[in-house]
Amino acid sequence: MVAHDKKRLGILLVTPALIFTVVCFLLPVLALLVDAFRVGGPDSVDGAALHWGVDRFIAFFAEPLHRQVFLRTLRIAALVTLVSALLSYPAAQAIVRVSPRYRGMVLGMMILPLMVSPIARTYAWIVLFGRNGAINSVLLHLGLADEPQRLLFSEMAVFVGLLQLLLPLMLMSLVSSMENLSRDITLAASTLGANAWQVFTRVTLPLTQEGLIVGGTLVFTGCVTAYVTPALLGGPKVLMLETLLYQKVSVESDFGTANVIAVILVLMTLAVNAGLKRISSSRSSA
Amino acid sequence: MKEGLFSRAMLWLVFLFLLGPFVIVFLAGFSAGETLVFPPSSYSVRWIIEVLGSEEFQRAFRTSLEIGLLATVIALLLGVPVAYAMSRMPPPGMGAIKQILTSPLIIPAMLVGLGLLRHVVLLVDAPVFLGLLVGHIGLLTPYAVRVVYASLINLRVDIEEAAITLGASRAQTFFLIVLPNIRSAVIAAFFLAFVTSFNQVPVSLFLTGPGISTLPIEMLGHMENSFDPSIAALSTLLVLFTMAFVLATEKLLGISKYM
Repeated sequence: MVAHDKKRLGILLVTPALIFTVVCFLLPVLALLVDAFRVGGPDSVDGAALHWGVDRFIAFFAEPLHRQVFLRTLRIAALVTLVSALLSYPAAQAIVRVSPRYRGMVLGMMILPLMVSPIARTYAWIVLFGRNGAINSVLLHLGLADEPQRLLFSEMAVFVGLLQLLLPLMLMSLVSSMENLSRDITLAASTLGANAWQVFTRVTLPLTQEGLIVGGTLVFTGCVTAYVTPALLGGPKVLMLETLLYQKVSVESDFGTANVIAVILVLMTLAVNAGLKRISSSRSSA
Repeated sequence: MKEGLFSRAMLWLVFLFLLGPFVIVFLAGFSAGETLVFPPSSYSVRWIIEVLGSEEFQRAFRTSLEIGLLATVIALLLGVPVAYAMSRMPPPGMGAIKQILTSPLIIPAMLVGLGLLRHVVLLVDAPVFLGLLVGHIGLLTPYAVRVVYASLINLRVDIEEAAITLGASRAQTFFLIVLPNIRSAVIAAFFLAFVTSFNQVPVSLFLTGPGISTLPIEMLGHMENSFDPSIAALSTLLVLFTMAFVLATEKLLGISKYM
C-alpha cells in the first residue's frame, strides 16, 4: 500500500473517537473550568460587569471550611499513598516469589477487590464501624466502653476505606516492576554481605522506583477523586473535595463554587501526573 | 529465611485487609433482623429475597446492564480502530491525539458528569438515558484503546503484509488475520470496560434523572433513607457475582495481565 494512503487511513480510523472525546468529554469539562474564571455579569450580586478573574478562588479559600476540606483531602491522600506503599512492598515481594502453581490464584485475589463495586466494598466498613457494628460490639462486650463510640463519619474511617479501595493499585504496580527485577541481583547483594535492610534500600528500592511512582500516582489521584468512600464513611461531617463539590451542586445549587473545585481537582491530578512524567523521564535519561 | 517469612506474613495481612471485609458483608447480608446489627442475632435469606424482588433494584439493574453493554460495544467500535491506527499507521500528530484520547483517564470522572449535565444535556434537552450513555462511552474508550493496543504491538506485522502481498484488501486483512489474533485482548477489554461501567458512580451521579437510575446510584439513594440490611444483601450478591466473573475471566484469559 502507498504510504500516502496509509496515512489517510490512519487519520480516518482515529477521527470518530477523536471527535467523540473532544465534543462529549473535553469541551464540557473545559466549559466548567473556564466558567470558574468568569465573574460578574447580569446575575451577579454586586452588579459588576462580566469580566475574567480569580475572585471566586479567593472567595473559596477565604472560607475556613473550604481550606479545611482542601487540606484534609491532601492529608488523607498523602497518608493513604504512604501506608499503601509500606504495606505493598513486602507483600509484593512475597507475591513474586509465589510458585507458579498458585500464581493465578494470588493474582486473582489481588484483582478481585478492584472489580467489586466500590459500594459493596465500602459497605463492609459501615458494618464494622457503625453504632451497632462489630467494633462497638467488641468494645462494649469487653467493657472497654460504656456506650457505642462514634467511629463512622471520621477521618479514620475514610482513611481505612480509601486504603482498602486503592491498595491493590499500588500492589499491582510494585508486583509488575519487581517481576522485572532479577532475583539474582538481590541474592548477589546479600551474598556480598548486605543485610536485608541494605538489600532493600540500596538494591530493591532504587530498581523498583518506577513502579512505586506509578502506583503512588494512581493511589494519590484515586484518593483525591474518590466519591463513594468519603460520602459513605465521612458523610457531611468529614467532607473531601469531591463530596464538597457534590454538596455544592446538589444541595446548594452553588455552581460557581463547584466550578472552582473542578479547577482545583483538575490541577491536582495534572500536577501529580506531570510530576510522574518528569521523574520517570529524568530516570530513563540519567 | 527470616526475610521471606516477614513478607509472607505481610501478604496474608494485606489479603486479610482486602478480602476480610467481604466476609463481613456476607454475614450482614444473611442477617434476619430489621436493622443492621453486627454480628447479626440470627441468619436468613430474607433480605436476599427482598432485594431480588424489589422493583426499584430490578429496574436499576436493567439500566446498568443496558448502559454497560451499549457503552462497552460503542467504546470498542471507537477504540479498536484507534488502537489499530496507532500501532500500524500512526497519523500525524500522534502524540497530541494520544493525549486527547487518554484524557478521560486523568480528568476526575465527576467533572465529566457535571460538565455533560450543565453544558450538553440541559442545553439540548437530551434524554437522561442518552446523557448517561455518552458519559460512560467517553470513560470506557481509553480502556478499549489501551488493552487492544498492547496486544497489537505484540502481534507481528509480517503476517498482515503476507496477506496483503497475496492480494487481500486492508479490510480483509483486518477481519480475517488481525482480529482473530487479538481476540482475547478484545474480550478482556470488553470485560474490563463493562465492569468499569457497571460499578461507575461519579460519572452517573449527575446524569441519572427521574425514573432512570443505575444500580450503584439506586443503592446510594437507598442508604440515605434506610438502615435495613438490604444493601448488605445486594452487596453480597454483587461480590459473589464478581467473584465468579473474575475467576472465569482469569482462567480463560488471564485478565490480570491486561490491567
